[in-house]
Formats: sequence, structure tokens, C-alpha cells
Amino acid sequence: MAVRNILLYPSPLLKTVCSPVDPADPAFQYLVGDLIDTMRDGPGSVGVAAPQIGVTLRACVVDVSSSRQGKESNHGLLVMLNPEITERSGAAVMREGCMSVPDYTGDVERATEIRVRFIDGDGVPHEIMASGFEAVAIQHEMDHLDGILFLDRISSLKTGLFRRKNYR
Amino acid sequence: MSECRKENLVHFAVTIISKDRPGIVADTTEVLFRLGCNIEDSSCTMLGGDFAMILIVSHAKPFLKAQLADEFRSLHGLTGLTVQVRHLTEDEICPVRDGGELCIISVYGSDRPGIVYRVTRALADRRVNITDLNTRLIGSREEPVYVLMLEAVLPAGLAVEDAEGLLEKLKKELNVEISVRAITPVSL
Repeated sequence: MAVRNILLYPSPLLKTVCSPVDPADPAFQYLVGDLIDTMRDGPGSVGVAAPQIGVTLRACVVDVSSSRQGKESNHGLLVMLNPEITERSGAAVMREGCMSVPDYTGDVERATEIRVRFIDGDGVPHEIMASGFEAVAIQHEMDHLDGILFLDRISSLKTGLFRRKNYR
Repeated sequence: MSECRKENLVHFAVTIISKDRPGIVADTTEVLFRLGCNIEDSSCTMLGGDFAMILIVSHAKPFLKAQLADEFRSLHGLTGLTVQVRHLTEDEICPVRDGGELCIISVYGSDRPGIVYRVTRALADRRVNITDLNTRLIGSREEPVYVLMLEAVLPAGLAVEDAEGLLEKLKKELNVEISVRAITPVSL
């Protein structure tokens, strides 16, 4: 397992629709380990998606439990293979930044509550309800699996350039 | 702009105002493109019936402000644009991003003179740095309503609640609603 470099836009891998993971393939364990290590290594990072480390498979990890906005309501570390959102409700705007688009943030509207179905790192299927910041983080990471960046979702560039130290 | 020091470049602030019509951006940026200028930062919007553009442009040295101004002058004659060009010094090129919390402040109420002045003076006195500001006159002719929205960086040590407290007495004095909310950018 290793901390991998985060790909930056304009890497074409970040605009690729990823393929499903075969949970029976033991190789994905390495991928999951690398995703977790890379997330833990990023400053204030609460999630990483496989294409961000150069693997175009439908896998991502999310953990908002140690962030200010997410510590109230979360499921701890989520390893999500082939995730699918089956229900969404509510809407709220949050100013998002992305490790793959450095030094820029933008206001993105997302559902405040989602039901999401996925397979975990042990191959076990789950269905959870996520809300608040955890729901935002899951939606952001899942967008990566479809080649969607937050830049595809913002409506204005006028707010913007804030350095990483202003995050969190 | 992750790298600010661009020693081989010269920077200008270009301000363009014109009665609004389709094609202003295309006409003016064509001039910049032909001259080999890069638009490094910009904000352009409709204000009343005018279209206003503010651009930070760069060009490889050597390049003179006069070359840029001359080129725009020809356009000016044709289309009735007001264009101003200002040379930027090195320390004006890099954005200053020091400070603490980021917040959005919205102010609205019956129109009266001094809303922008009084609110921004109160903020300036506490070293609150405005990063974005828009105002609009809405409501009816009989009862015009003034709306001010701004985004600001609070100085280190000043909390969002403090900023709210700072503006509290202006609510009564100006008879306006004022709300302050924190924006916390999240890194994902």
C-alpha cells in the first residue's frame, strides 16, 4: 500500500467514465489500500476517488469523521466499490475545492441527504443514508467516477482563488 | 495563478465600459489576442444598461502600455467604448490571501443614502477585507429596496459573530436587515 500522487486536471483520466470493479478480483485490495493511504496523506482530505490516482475503476474512499463539518454525523471510513445513489433529497450549497484542481474553490449545490448502495472493501454489500457534509463528500467523490469535476457544477467563477490554508 | 512571479511579463489593468450590445467581449478580446496579450484574471458584467469589463492582462516584455492603448483607441472610435489601461507594478500582481474566516454579508432594506458607505466603513475600521461586492436596486418605484451582498475575509482573531455584532447597531440606524454567514471552503 502506498500514498499515490494525485492527478491534476487536465489529466484525461479525470474526465473518464470509470468501469465497474469486480469485487471477486483480489487486485482491488491494493487499490483500496492506496486510496486510503492517499486520503490520509492529503492535507484535510476527506475523500479520494480511484481516477484521481490514475485508476479508472468505480472505487472511492470517504472519511469525514475528523473534519469540523463532518464529525457530528458520519459512518467513519467508507470504502465504496461500484457505489450508486438510489435516493436524494434536499439541496444546499457548499464551497468546494478538489485536490485535482488546486488553488480554486467554487460554490456547488448538492443533495443534503442521500441513500447510497455500494460494496465495501471486504466484498460486503451495504446501503446507507448519509447526510450533511458526508453526503456532499460522497457525491463529490462519486462524480469523479463519471469524469465529472466540481468545475462542471459551478455556475459562477467570481468567488474563487483561496489557498489551501483557508480550507477546513 | 499558482505562480505569481513572472519576471519576463508585464501586466496591465484594462477597464472597458460600453453601452451594452452583443459582441463587446469578442471585439475587445480580439484586440488583446492580436497583440499577443494573455487575460490572466477578469470580471465582466452588466451594470445598468452598460457592460463593464475589468481585465488583468499580461504580455511578454518588452511591451509598452502605449501599444495597448493605441490599439484600443482605434476600437474606441468605431464602437464608442471607454477604455482605460493602467500599468501594474510587481506587488499588485499577486493576490494577498492573509486573514481568517471567510464570510458572506447581506444587507437589504428600504433604499436610502449611505447604506454601502456605512456598512463598509464599519468593516474597514476593523480591517475586514472585502473580496467581492455587488449592489442592486430592486422593489417597486414607490418602495425601492436596496440590496448589498459582499464577501469578505475577516482579520485573524475576528469571529463571524464579532462581525455580526459589529454591524448590529447599523441595523437600527439604517433600518436594514443584515446577516453574516460563514463560508467554510471544504477540500475534497
